Amino acid sequence: MMPIWTKSGKKHAVTLLKVQDCHVLRYVSKEESGGKTAKLLVGGKNVSPFSKPESAYQIFKEAGVPRKQKITTFNVTDDAIIKPGTPLYAAHFRPGQFVDVTAKTIGKGFQGVMKRWGFKGQPASHGQTKTHRRPGAISTNKASKVYRGKKMPGKMGNIYRTTYGLKVWRINTKHDIIYVNGCVPGHTNCLVKVKDSKLPTCKKYNTNPPFPTFFADGDEKLPEDLFDEEIFQFTDPSVTYT
Amino acid sequence: RASSDGKPAKFQPPPKPVIIDKKKQRAERRFLSPEFIPPRGRTDPLKYYMERKDMIQRRKVFDIPEFYVGHVLAVTTADPYANNKSNRFVGICIQRGGKGLGATFVLRNVIEGQGVEICYELYSPRIHAIEVLKLEKRLDDNLMYLRDALPEYSTFDVNMKPESRLEHEEVPVNKLQVRMKPKPWSKRWERPKFNIKGIKFELPESKMQEAQKWSKPWLEFDMLREYDTSKIEEKIWREVNEELKK
Repeated sequence: MMPIWTKSGKKHAVTLLKVQDCHVLRYVSKEESGGKTAKLLVGGKNVSPFSKPESAYQIFKEAGVPRKQKITTFNVTDDAIIKPGTPLYAAHFRPGQFVDVTAKTIGKGFQGVMKRWGFKGQPASHGQTKTHRRPGAISTNKASKVYRGKKMPGKMGNIYRTTYGLKVWRINTKHDIIYVNGCVPGHTNCLVKVKDSKLPTCKKYNTNPPFPTFFADGDEKLPEDLFDEEIFQFTDPSVTYT
Repeated sequence: RASSDGKPAKFQPPPKPVIIDKKKQRAERRFLSPEFIPPRGRTDPLKYYMERKDMIQRRKVFDIPEFYVGHVLAVTTADPYANNKSNRFVGICIQRGGKGLGATFVLRNVIEGQGVEICYELYSPRIHAIEVLKLEKRLDDNLMYLRDALPEYSTFDVNMKPESRLEHEEVPVNKLQVRMKPKPWSKRWERPKFNIKGIKFELPESKMQEAQKWSKPWLEFDMLREYDTSKIEEKIWREVNEELKK
């Protein structure tokens, strides 16, 4: 995470996300998948092909792409279909857009009820016998059963969670880095899924994206760094108020 | 000239001239600002490289002078609520923290009897100027104990004139031993954990002996805590210098 300053002098914290060897692997049509829209399977980060049997990476052979560590699905409309085997770059997103980021949270192992669900526990003194971090009562007398989904101790973390509505401040096309506002679930160097935001208030900021994606061999030549309008770039002189 | 016994003096060749190459002497003194050195961790070095690019970019536009803890600095920042929209603060640097773009330094001064500490961000765009008024290193890296020292050690004249910079010589070390206010202090500065050399402890011997009970003499031999930064520093020093010359 890094600080970033706006032209008015305010500081925001920013997470750097690197787009590492992303390729489109397969196109699944609407009828085949049985959902409402067509799907595109996308693979991230290259990984050694020798740790799994050959049958495991049939998809990668069809697309003509080295074996990837993670495969995700994106729901896509029919006019945004991309041919399998095309690489995806960070320039797919533009500064000023809003984005949802999904990742597996940091695993905390088996945790008690105070850490996992935020229960208050019991006082440390005043006669408490061996009861300081326990859940206390788990149901009422009339119910005479414990309801399904009762908050109890268990394995915490290591599940997929999404943060919605994160602003993209800056894009580096040379190293394929996206600078995203705020924090993101997951530990450092973990794999993360970045999508256009589904929030209704962010729809007006997501206009005119590169559609269906940014093609590196196309006519568009982008500069190395793309900044949002409000960012203070370090080539400018210091901020003054008038 | 004749010697004392009448014979002519043996020919003494003139002493060889000693050429002091000043450029070499200057290059030997290297200062790499501590926020460039990446902390030990599992982050991708690409992240530190991107941060360093931004830091160098800022240093090209705005000159950040070389300073240590113990220097007296004057910082002018942009302030939307001040009369002239700018604010000047003079103080002694008591701490330099943070790595990368978020590097900070804390300046302390006593104004009209009230101690004031302000934490500035080195790379914040609101800073207009940093001037070094007095150059001196102290015996410690962290002068937080000045909060519990007598106020005369933290007062500096707001209209102090900048001292002339010694041409590429060693930064002088001030071996001042500071006198403290009576206990209780905000932290127990006599304990070996803080390793403070700049306080003149006027505590009885028994208290000093009791403080040594918390010493951890095995810490300096702990191999897992070793972090040798010499090679990293050299690489970064070369990279930073090349970029700044462009």
